[in-house]
Amino acid sequence: MQSKESMEIEAVQSQSQNESGSLPSKPNFEPLKAHEMSDGRVQFRKVSVPPHRYTPLKKVWMDIYTPIYDQMKIDIRMNLKGRKVELKTRADTPDISNLQKCADFVHAFMLGFDVVDAVALLRLDELYVESFEIKDVKTLRGEHLSRAIGRLSGKGGKTKFAIENATKTRIVIADTKIHILGSFSNIKIARDSLCSLILGSPAGKVYSKLRAVTARLAERF
Amino acid sequence: MATPSIAPLDLGALHRLKLTEPPVWLAPTAELSDAAREASRQLFSFLKSHTPKSPLDQLLVEGFDAEQIWQQIDLLSQPLLYGLKREVKKFEKNPDEIGKIRKVLEGERKDFEREKEINELEQYLEEDEAREYGLKKDVINDKKKVRRKLGVFGEGDEDDGDMDQLGTARKLQSEIEKMEKANMDQKAWTMQGEVTAAQRPKNSALEVDLDFQHNVRPAPVITEEFTTSLEEMIKKRILEGQFDDAQKIFTLPSKAPRELNELDENKSKKGLAEVYEEEFVQKTNPAAAPLLFSDEQKKEASMLFKKLCLKLDALSHFHFTPKPVIEDMSIQMNVPALAMEEIAPIAVSDAAMLAPEEVFSSKGDVKEETELTQADRKRRRANKKRKFKAKAAERSAKRAQDNTSLNHNDVQELYYTKMIGRIEELPKNYGNQARKKVRVTLITSYRFRIVEKFW
Repeated sequence: MQSKESMEIEAVQSQSQNESGSLPSKPNFEPLKAHEMSDGRVQFRKVSVPPHRYTPLKKVWMDIYTPIYDQMKIDIRMNLKGRKVELKTRADTPDISNLQKCADFVHAFMLGFDVVDAVALLRLDELYVESFEIKDVKTLRGEHLSRAIGRLSGKGGKTKFAIENATKTRIVIADTKIHILGSFSNIKIARDSLCSLILGSPAGKVYSKLRAVTARLAERF
Repeated sequence: MATPSIAPLDLGALHRLKLTEPPVWLAPTAELSDAAREASRQLFSFLKSHTPKSPLDQLLVEGFDAEQIWQQIDLLSQPLLYGLKREVKKFEKNPDEIGKIRKVLEGERKDFEREKEINELEQYLEEDEAREYGLKKDVINDKKKVRRKLGVFGEGDEDDGDMDQLGTARKLQSEIEKMEKANMDQKAWTMQGEVTAAQRPKNSALEVDLDFQHNVRPAPVITEEFTTSLEEMIKKRILEGQFDDAQKIFTLPSKAPRELNELDENKSKKGLAEVYEEEFVQKTNPAAAPLLFSDEQKKEASMLFKKLCLKLDALSHFHFTPKPVIEDMSIQMNVPALAMEEIAPIAVSDAAMLAPEEVFSSKGDVKEETELTQADRKRRRANKKRKFKAKAAERSAKRAQDNTSLNHNDVQELYYTKMIGRIEELPKNYGNQARKKVRVTLITSYRFRIVEKFW
């Protein structure tokens, strides 16, 4: 079959050359659709729901569902039995990377980010979630550990919010685990200030450093 | 007292020196210096027998200068001096021994006399050398004293060799002890390192020459030249009548003070996507970005400053043209017929202004309080009374109406009409819009009052 087709194309080319002496018009191929790329196979992603995010997920399900279904053109459902959110490509999914973006979005929600913040993962390309633990920075035990967590969040979350606003990131402090959502360079700045807080520097010192760093970042443009 | 090792003194050279007339010494002569050398060599070898430990066997004279010869004599005389001192101390302790010595001395008076002679001769000799080489006199005197002591006590020293050895051992011992003590004792405060005022005796720092570095710049040394130069400068300035000081140049800060960006410690109301969106918009199209709070303040400040500048310009600038204010087109009637040049600044000039009667127009004569006659005053009072009476009558009529009709609609009607009447009363220059507004406010306030009454 194939050889026959190619032969036919050659024949056509030779004909056109013979006729006008110019090259034939370029063939215009439509870009492959997402489902065509993987031989029509449907791709799946599963994001497991931890027990403490079950109720919040139920509450904001529509906020999660609408952008994924409408904008990203990905099918989403909650598997109650397996306690997993399942995502699947559709025939009209414009980009294969949408599936991964949606999975990241759902995962970010599971980590504890708000939906309004996590939606940024769908809208922007250069956003990442970085996670680390306090013990990766310094081995702290007992009261030292709790004090370190207290330093990270500050009174009523003041320190955390200050870092978030200064670095344009979002931070989740879940016990000893810390998750940062933001662009690469911003994550770096936020992580640096969090690390210095863990190591014991007072919030005021971290603020002044942050101020200097953000001022420098603002000047860069 | 037997001294078998004593060499026989050859006094020839000394005699020759002694016999030389003093004026001859003034000119250096080889003969005399040879004689002096010889004499000193003789004396040295004579004294050598008293100090067995001296490193030199004899005075080396040939080819040595005066200083070197003196050094050799020193080498001999130092141990001799110590020995003599020791002997004197010994005699102090037990004076009986002096008697013995005296006997011996008497026995050897001849020797002593000779010794005396030697001393004298030596004195001559030294003076000669001093003249020859310009040595200092006091040094020579010291040496002389040593020689004299030697002459007196020389014999007492070498009683026996054993005593001498014992003495040296003791001397060594004492020296060692002295050194050890010096090591063990507390050091002087200058050697102790850091010392405060309490740790050293009073005024002790004045006595020592301290060498340390000052951090402050030393005060200028006021020399005579310095003061004269200053005085000259002052005089010159007075002559020139130049009394100005160096003016300090104040530099205005070229840069605006850095803005301290406050960290917002509250949970941001915007989602992360919106934050990034704003940042992107600001980066791509700064004009379209929403104004920050500080920007608004800046704008207001610049507006105020512009207003101030306009006023100041009007005051100071002679031909100040105010900013053209575009208003509705209107024909100004009261313009002077002739445009005259004015001396006063335009902003101050009242050439284009209205006349007083144009500004304030009133019927009849306007009189001041003091200008009124009695008749005028009476008329005014009567007018006032008439107006008040009319008002009072109106008020009473209204009250009567209020009492009679409590019906809502009636009241409203009444009020309405009254309001309309009041609106009619409004000054003529009130526009239609204003009238409408007044009406609305009056009605609403009235309704409110009605509602209040019902409750």
